[in-house]
This record gives sequence, structure tokens and C-alpha cells, in this order.
Amino acid sequence: MAGGYLVPLGLVAIVLVSAAVAGILRRLVRLSVLLTLPIAISVVLVSALTRPGETVLFVIGPFDITLEGIDFAGQTLVRLFAISTAIGLFTLTTDPRAFVLDLERRGLSPRFAFVAAATIEAVPAMVSRAGVIAAAQRSRGLDTEGSVAARLRGILPLVGPVLLSSLTEVEERSLALEVRAFGRPGRRDLLWCPPDRPAERLVRWLLALALLGLVVARALGAWPPIP
Amino acid sequence: MIEISGLVHVYPEGTRALDGVDLHVAPGEALAIVGQNGSGKSTLVRHLNGLLRPTAGTIRIDGRDAAERKVADLAAIVGLAFQDPDQQIFAGRVRAEVAFAPRNFGLRGAVLEAAVDEALAAVGLVEMADTNPYDLGYSRRKLLAIASVIAARTPVVVLDEPTTGQDLRGTSRVRRIVGDLAAQGRTVIAITHDMRFAAETFGRIVVMRDGRVVLDGAPTVVFAESAWPVLASTYLEPPLAARVGARLGVGTTPTEAALVAALARRD
Amino acid sequence: MLELRGVTYRYAGYARLVLHEVNLALRDGEIVGLIGGNDAGKSTICLVASGLAPASVGGELRGEVVIDGTPTTSLPVHALAERVVLAFQNPATQRSGVTATVFEEVALGPMNLGLPVPETIQRTRQALATLHLEHIADRDPTRLSGGQGQLVAIASLLAMRPRHVLLDEPTAQLDPEGSRLVAAALRDVAATGAALLVAEQKTDLLDGLCDRVVVVEEGRIALEGPTPDVLADERLESWGVEPPARVRISRALEGARLPTLHQLGWMP
Repeated sequence: MAGGYLVPLGLVAIVLVSAAVAGILRRLVRLSVLLTLPIAISVVLVSALTRPGETVLFVIGPFDITLEGIDFAGQTLVRLFAISTAIGLFTLTTDPRAFVLDLERRGLSPRFAFVAAATIEAVPAMVSRAGVIAAAQRSRGLDTEGSVAARLRGILPLVGPVLLSSLTEVEERSLALEVRAFGRPGRRDLLWCPPDRPAERLVRWLLALALLGLVVARALGAWPPIP
Repeated sequence: MIEISGLVHVYPEGTRALDGVDLHVAPGEALAIVGQNGSGKSTLVRHLNGLLRPTAGTIRIDGRDAAERKVADLAAIVGLAFQDPDQQIFAGRVRAEVAFAPRNFGLRGAVLEAAVDEALAAVGLVEMADTNPYDLGYSRRKLLAIASVIAARTPVVVLDEPTTGQDLRGTSRVRRIVGDLAAQGRTVIAITHDMRFAAETFGRIVVMRDGRVVLDGAPTVVFAESAWPVLASTYLEPPLAARVGARLGVGTTPTEAALVAALARRD
Repeated sequence: MLELRGVTYRYAGYARLVLHEVNLALRDGEIVGLIGGNDAGKSTICLVASGLAPASVGGELRGEVVIDGTPTTSLPVHALAERVVLAFQNPATQRSGVTATVFEEVALGPMNLGLPVPETIQRTRQALATLHLEHIADRDPTRLSGGQGQLVAIASLLAMRPRHVLLDEPTAQLDPEGSRLVAAALRDVAATGAALLVAEQKTDLLDGLCDRVVVVEEGRIALEGPTPDVLADERLESWGVEPPARVRISRALEGARLPTLHQLGWMP
């Protein structure tokens, strides 16, 4: 039983230590909790309340809370945290532009690379535009602080211009990009891509091997899933 | 009507957009606020309807402190037409777009229709009342945005860059609109960086730089040769008519008509 | 040379013809101004001349667009990048959004052409030097003034070494300082030998810049000729164009039977 916790907790520990070294520990914890909490609550509740088992700890109404149920919930929770902290660490420490350029260097089409990078940049622009639109409509008397009915009526005047102006902007952007030969097929000679150090290459290979090893171990039954 | 004293505004990221502005606007006045982008013009007018609140200083509108009042309330007194019409147009028909603001302020039925009709007539869009706004060209959409604010019948009308991107017909129409609003006794404030438009349309010009008012007066005061160094410090130039008049020694002639009149007098 | 020969065009989904039998020639090294009311067809002419219409925008084109003897109407836009480019009025939407510095932004065009890195760097440096932008090469492109943003957009296009540079109201959204920056930049661009077509409402700006001016009205060429002649034409206002201040004042003086500006001793 304890074994089911050891590995995920160990992973979480490694990730948290790395985060501390990168100086983003608080941000990572906040991000991971935000990501996992909704799922975690439902999973924990469902498994704790309904999972069948032998050792009943206590009873709440129609539900038997068993030790096995709580154990399952606990193991699932730490696994969820292991996944979310790992994803969080990646998101917070990777420069999206560098990441996308590196993918392109390794063969990803430049157009796909562009779309990935531009999508990340597009969000703050849209948020600020939505702010201006809201200001313009409030200046014409749209009540954003009133009753629910009033706020529902306000959806079209707020969402309409955001969508329309986003469409117009997308068209302007794509024409401007076309003029700069973005549509040209074929590879590009990149001005810069992130440097690849031997130590990083070694770690990547080790991680790939570890993943392979885990898959094999699971297939051979050396490391069983949660009962 | 509008009394602003020592207004300071610092944005959350630290920019000190307004650095102590004093401005008094009497009811029925028509004035232009000019300055480069970043001088604080837009920040200033967004205090007039409560979109922005002062960091320091006071602003009183129609006798009451504006800092306490909701945007929805202030918007019924100060109508603000934004620079980009496409950031407010949402209705499928011109008429519905113009009716939006007056409807928000409680106008209904015959009174609402009258307000919409008047506004459409003022901007010259009566024949397009049933058109989709996006079937109109950019000039007309800008006029539509102005109409939608006029229809609310607010005592104060603020126009943000009404002539930017406009062609000749559009600019002439805007000039006429300002004149009509002033004739109705409404207070009109326009933000612009078109010096000629400011000189020919308004009896008072307020020049801003770095969050402060550096010149405030009639065009003959603001474009006088003595004021040129101040204008130059904001990278603004007086209209050609003023420069010609000064060079020819006939006094301050902010408009072409004034220049011609001054030269005729001289002979 | 870039030519529009008998170009008739309508946008996709619209029955109305926006351009009617337009003939326009942009010769090497020329600076041509394009004026007309807001819906006269200036932007459409720019889109057609740059190849964006109909290739990217759709619509139906009759007639021909010919660049240096080659018809371009069936070519994709990226194939035309070193022959013709188009600058728009909004500096924000011309930013790619994927670069961290002005240098990278300007280098994007040549990089997209698949040029080797040393060539890309050389073209970028040259474009920045032409527009005197070296001092902001390390700046974040999103933190520039409107005028600077437009200059970076123009530099980004120049880096592809185009023979023809089209600009659709490049100063429409700029303040006076920004407009001045762009007007000076256009002179620098012309000095590189590229031919320029500048669509503008600000006739004062075109006054000191263009060799020739073309007037568009309702999709047709209404007038073309040397700059002083066209800008002094009495029909300009009927075509929705404001004459330059100099012309207006001269007319007002003439109307009042006063001496001309020149006679009064006023030299611009």
C-alpha cells in the first residue's frame, strides 16, 4: 500500500525542489492546486464514499467509508498532483517562443510553429480589447453592475464587438503576414534557436529511457497498478 | 459644468498619465483638447464619465463630486464616443445601434424614436437607417458611433478623435455636427491632433503635454507666435494659416479666413 | 515596373464592382501618390497591386497585374515578396507577435524567404540603417509608439528588398509626430531606389514627397499628373479630397484679390 504513494510523492518532491531552484515554487503550487482541485475533490469524494472494501471505518448515511476507499482516493490524489506539478513546471519554465523555435529546428513546419506562438500572444491582446469595448458600451449606459437580467442583456453588446473586431483583426494580421512571405512552403534558416547543452541532452535521453523502462516494468507486472 | 482641480492619475503599472490638471468648462462651451499620443488626453476624458477614477485631485460634474458616482449615472450626463467605431458597434441595423444608448437611459416609444431620428439626421445617416453597419464604409461607421452618443441627449458630448481616418466629407460633417450640438446648448469636447480642425471648429483649445495642461485659450491665444515654443515642445505645429500670418506680420490668424481678412485689412 | 492593366475587381460575396478598368503604372524609382475619398477604391488598388487580391482575399479580377513583364495574377503572394510589398495603417496588426526584439521582427521577412542566416542579418541591418532604427533594435516591438511601430513595419518589409513598396494610408492612425516620422522614412525608402505608391488623405504629406499623383473616384482613375498640377486641381474637393493647406490659402487669397503667397514674400 505504501509503495503506491512512494513513487508519486517522490516525483512531486523532485518537481518541487526543481521549482524552488527555479524560484517559482509558490507560483507552481498555486497553479497545480488550481489545476487539480476540481478533479481532486470529485475523485476523492466518489472513491472515499463508494469504493468497496473490507475495513469499514465509519458510516455516513447510506455510504460505508472503507480504508480501501480512502487509500485509493489518497493514491489517486498524489498521482494527480504528480502530473499537475510536472505539467506546471514545464509551462512555467519554458519560454513559448524558444520552445516553438526549437520544435521548428527539429522539423516542425514553420507555419504550425507560428500558430502555436501567436496563439499564446493573442490572449493578452484580446483581453485588453475586450476591456476597451466594455468601456465604450458602459459609456453608452450599459449597466455592468446591475441585476442579473441587466447583465444578460449586456452580453450581445459586449461579446458582439469582441468577436467582430477579432475577426477583422485576424484578417488584417493574416494579410500583413502573407506580405512577409509567411505562406512560403519549405524550411527556414533560423536566426536563433535555444542552445542545446550536453548535460540537457543527457537528461533527455535518461528520461526517455526511464519512461521506456516504466512501460516495460508495467507490462511485465513488476509494478502493479492501484488495486 | 465640469470642474477639475489638481487631477492626478497613475495607472496600476505605474505610468503617471495625469500630473495635476486644472480645467473648468462652462455649460455650452465647445473646446478641443490637443496633444500627442501619451499626453494624457484620453486619460483625462475617461474621468468625465467615471471610467477612470482620480488618484488625487477632484472632479465635479454638474455640481457634484464625480468620484462617488457610478459610470451608468455619469454616462447619462457625459456621452463619450470612442475613436474606433468597430469597438462598440454590435447591432445589425443602424437604427438599433443608435437606439442603444437612449434606451439604456430609459427613453421609450415616441420619445426614443424622435431621439434616434434627430441623431441620424445630425450625422446624415437617415437613408441608411435600415442598413447593416458593416455595409457602411469606415467614415460612415465613425459617424454612426457619434450618432449613437448624440441620441442619448446628454448635456455634455465628448468625441475622441472624430476626424482621424475620416475623408473630406466625413470631416466636414463632423464640423457641422459640433456646430449643431453647440447651437443646442450642449457642451462639446473633442480630442484631436488635427490642429486645423481644432482652430476652425472650436472657440477654445486646451493643449496637453506629459499629463499637464500647457496652453488653454482661444485659437488666437494658443496659436500666437509667443506660444509657438510651447507648442514646439509638444511636437505640435500651428496651422499653416497662423504661420503665414505671423511671418507676414498681420497678427495671429489661426484660420485661413482670418488670414485672408487680416491681409485684406492691411491693404 | 508594376502595372495594372484594365483591372476590374469585385470582392467575394459582393456583386458591386469596386474597380472599373483601372490602368496604373508604377515605374522604377518613382514616388506616386494615390488620393480619393474613403470608399473610392484606394485600398482595393493596393490589395490588387500587391497580389493579395484575389489570391488571399478572394473575389474576381479581370484584367492583368504585371510586374517587370511577368503577369502576377495567378502567383501566390509569398512568391511576390521580393517584388512588391504592402504596408497597412495599423502598426499593431502588422506586428507578427512572435518576436522579442525589433531586430528579430525585421528579420522575420528574410527568414521566411528561406535565406541563409548571414544574408538575413545583413538585410536586417541594412533595413534598420535605412530608417535610422538601429538605436531601438533591442526594444520590445510591443512597447513602441505608433510612429515607431509603423517604421518597424516598414523596415520589416524593406528587409525583403522589394522593388515596389505600396503603403495604404500609413499615417492614418498616427499623431502628428508619428506622421512626420513616417513621411521622413518614406523619403529614405525612396532613396534606396524602390518605387513607392502611397495612398493618403493627408495631401500636405504627399505635396513634398511625390513625383506624380493619381486620383481615384468610385473605382476609376479620375485624374493623374504631376503633383503640383493635381493637388491644385479645382475638382479635388468634389472627389472627396482636401487640397493641401498651401493650395487652399492661395485660393483664398486669389478669391479676395490679394497678392499670392509668393508675391507676399512667403516662402515655404
